[in-house]
Amino acid sequence: MGRFFVRRLAFALLLVVAVSSSALLLTRLAPGDMTSELGLRARPEEVARTRARFDLDRSPAAQLGGWALRAARFDFGESFLYSRPVGGLIRRAAGNTAVLALAALAIATLAGIPLGIITGSRRGALAGAIRTASLVCLSIPPLLTSLLLLFIASRTGWLPTGGMTSVDAVDAGWLAWMLDVARHLPLPALALALPLAATFERLQAQAMTETIHQPFVVAALARGVRGRQLLIDHAWRASLRSMCAIYGLAIGALLSGSFVVEYVTAWPGLGRLMYEALRARDVYLVAGCAAMGGVFLAFGSVVSDLLLFAADPRVREGQTA
Amino acid sequence: MNVRLFGVLITAGILAAGFVFWRSTTTPDDAAPAITVSDVPSRGGQIVTSGRAGPRTFNRLIGQEQFSQVLSMLTQGRLVRVNYQTFEVEPWLAEKWDVSADGLTYTFHLRPGVTWSDGVPFTSEDVLFSVQAIFDAKSESFIADTLKVEGKPIAASARDAATVVITFPEPSGPGLRLLDSLWIVPKHKLEGALKAGTFARAWGTDTPPSDIVGMGPFVLREYVPNQRLIFDRNPRYWRKAADGTSLPYLDRIVYEIIPDQDAELLRLQSGDLDLTQSELRPDDYVPARRAEDKGTLKVAEVGLSPQADSFWFNLKPEAWKGDPRFAFVRRPEFRQAISYAVDREKFAENVFLGAAVPIWGPITPGNTLWFWPDVPRYFHDVNKAKALLKGLGLEDRNGDGVVEDAQGHEARFTVITQRGIGWFERGLAELRTQLAQVGIALEAAPLENATMNQRMVKSDYEAMYTRFGSTDVDPASQLDMWLSNGDAHFWHFGDTSPEPWEARIDALMKEQMATLDQGRRKAIFNDVQRIFAENLPVIYFATPRMYYAYNARVQGVKPSVLRPVALWNADMLSVRQSGTR
Repeated sequence: MGRFFVRRLAFALLLVVAVSSSALLLTRLAPGDMTSELGLRARPEEVARTRARFDLDRSPAAQLGGWALRAARFDFGESFLYSRPVGGLIRRAAGNTAVLALAALAIATLAGIPLGIITGSRRGALAGAIRTASLVCLSIPPLLTSLLLLFIASRTGWLPTGGMTSVDAVDAGWLAWMLDVARHLPLPALALALPLAATFERLQAQAMTETIHQPFVVAALARGVRGRQLLIDHAWRASLRSMCAIYGLAIGALLSGSFVVEYVTAWPGLGRLMYEALRARDVYLVAGCAAMGGVFLAFGSVVSDLLLFAADPRVREGQTA
Repeated sequence: MNVRLFGVLITAGILAAGFVFWRSTTTPDDAAPAITVSDVPSRGGQIVTSGRAGPRTFNRLIGQEQFSQVLSMLTQGRLVRVNYQTFEVEPWLAEKWDVSADGLTYTFHLRPGVTWSDGVPFTSEDVLFSVQAIFDAKSESFIADTLKVEGKPIAASARDAATVVITFPEPSGPGLRLLDSLWIVPKHKLEGALKAGTFARAWGTDTPPSDIVGMGPFVLREYVPNQRLIFDRNPRYWRKAADGTSLPYLDRIVYEIIPDQDAELLRLQSGDLDLTQSELRPDDYVPARRAEDKGTLKVAEVGLSPQADSFWFNLKPEAWKGDPRFAFVRRPEFRQAISYAVDREKFAENVFLGAAVPIWGPITPGNTLWFWPDVPRYFHDVNKAKALLKGLGLEDRNGDGVVEDAQGHEARFTVITQRGIGWFERGLAELRTQLAQVGIALEAAPLENATMNQRMVKSDYEAMYTRFGSTDVDPASQLDMWLSNGDAHFWHFGDTSPEPWEARIDALMKEQMATLDQGRRKAIFNDVQRIFAENLPVIYFATPRMYYAYNARVQGVKPSVLRPVALWNADMLSVRQSGTR
């Protein structure tokens, strides 16, 4: 068990290093750099100073090496766009994305898995309607979902039309601030959760369909186990294996931030920060965002392993052996 | 559970939700209480405005991103300012001035009783310090170039605490207009940074807002990166309304950072936003008008834009690396043929949905001070275009629809434009269609902004279609574009051997820059426009009519064709107190 997790942690570290280094190198090697943000009228000496300040006058390898050494001391450099240390910007954005991701995950889980159990174990109009709705949710691009939800919010006034907090919450206390965030959360969370819920539903349905035809379920049925007990205690638990693998990855992907949803709904998260950094070729901010995304992906992978460990006795036995 | 019953319940729920949605979108006006509103501006209230991005610095002498202009107009002051509606220079922190007989020396009398937002009195020392900071080598201020005449900096001295003398090294046609960009920064706050050589990093975005002081109508209260900035009323602001009311009227301005323009429009329509920083896009005009019919928005016709989309070929010979097509690209007749080939009325109709007028040069009718209506024009004439091309030896010899020279080199070009901007992509598609009629083939290459800019600066392109912004209408603000050795001479960067017509423009521009008589300046600049239109290094087709939408509850909005469209006049904005949003 211990060695297993040491291996996983080593892999996670490797993932973070690989992702952030690749991001830095690719941003550096892509055409254009941050000095184009200075405008046409920027003087050559100003361009040169900016390039020197952000190590663009060094070779990509030397820049990567210097950045890696500093990053090992948790100094991720400075952002060109914000003229602030990258670390602070990422911490704030990652926290915002985490709030959004957890809300989306909760919605997707609470909607997708029960619906998957229904469609995987039943036939009829209801199951058909759920399947159709899932396919629709999977087919609509997140950009369109976000704009559609934003449109509904703007026309009805039911929800705030974007942002994370409203101006009125600025002077309010913590409780009012949290309530205000909770009011802003449903729109982007739904935009993220709908396709994910549909994915969970489809996967859960497939797993359930396969499981309920397994001999141990038939045997339980022969023993007189019926209804919800058969469905939940026997079939669903056994079907969880395939869900666990995808669940961890979904956590990682959600926590890494969705730039489309965050961009359209003006949610100040990691995805939006990464997008803006990429647009401006803000090389250290890109690398920092990628590193944080890598951390989250690795975290998701570990969660996935843990869930599999808990859900599948064969994994535990395998580890023990 | 009966499946049918469940289905019926779900359907009923969907129908009920749809009905509530329909009611909420169709009846708000009926449900709203009758209100009486007054057009007399009153103190108090707040507005919420928005923009694509936030600040990179709070130091106006350093920051040159678009937000810096908004920030300084809200929080800082200058001796004089250019009025964004009349384009005339008007007194600001200097209440009056005297000019010497030779026009080189201006003596400014500072407005008495003005203080910084922290209560420290404003004196001539602050003006001298600002000029010193701008020209300090370590401060890296981009404003330094603006405040030079013939490459020499202006000089500032003080007679006393309330009198500043500014001397121009050479006669300057734009004169006082140059001082529109001389933002005054507080000596008592920034002197230490200048002495320490760290002025360029002073007032970064992590500076506590309470340390940022100014003489503008508002003071920065809070900045949350990627979310918003909050500006509170500056109680020490010097300006008063005509009736004696202390300005600004508003208690607060909130600036939300909304990266997506579609989302911004939805928020404006819903009433969550009061103002934006940009005009309506052509596609947004109809929904904004609908919202105006409902009484939630006001849509103002601002006028014709002083900026226009530019189409040009790379005229830097080295960039073509011996490509035989440059032999005809460099000929004015080739560019004139393009100008004749384009039906500008149709272009305006298809690209700007009719809300645009044809133009033939970079100075549009939107620039009321400098537009010259007699600029040479190329009215749509396909036969003339074909004749000009034939005169250059360009004919469709193989019947494939594209003209080629005698050696078979086709007039086929890749045109770079900015990705994601609707009217650029539509404009290029329209040009491609229209130029195909005379046998010129264009292939569109939309690129994202950073890549496009880099390709332009490195002269790594064949042709380009984009638009450049400007903060003033005076040709002096575009000098680096007009002069062949200018940093923004974008069709031929690093032009060391200008063509005779370019050399003539150089001479005329320098002459008008040194001419104090404004009528004479105009006549000289008309000549520049004539030469430019005859040689067409850049071709212009249409300039859009600008429409600006804002919340109907906001009063005092005087939208400008320059940006920021509405916040240039922030101290005069107010909200209807008795109304509802």
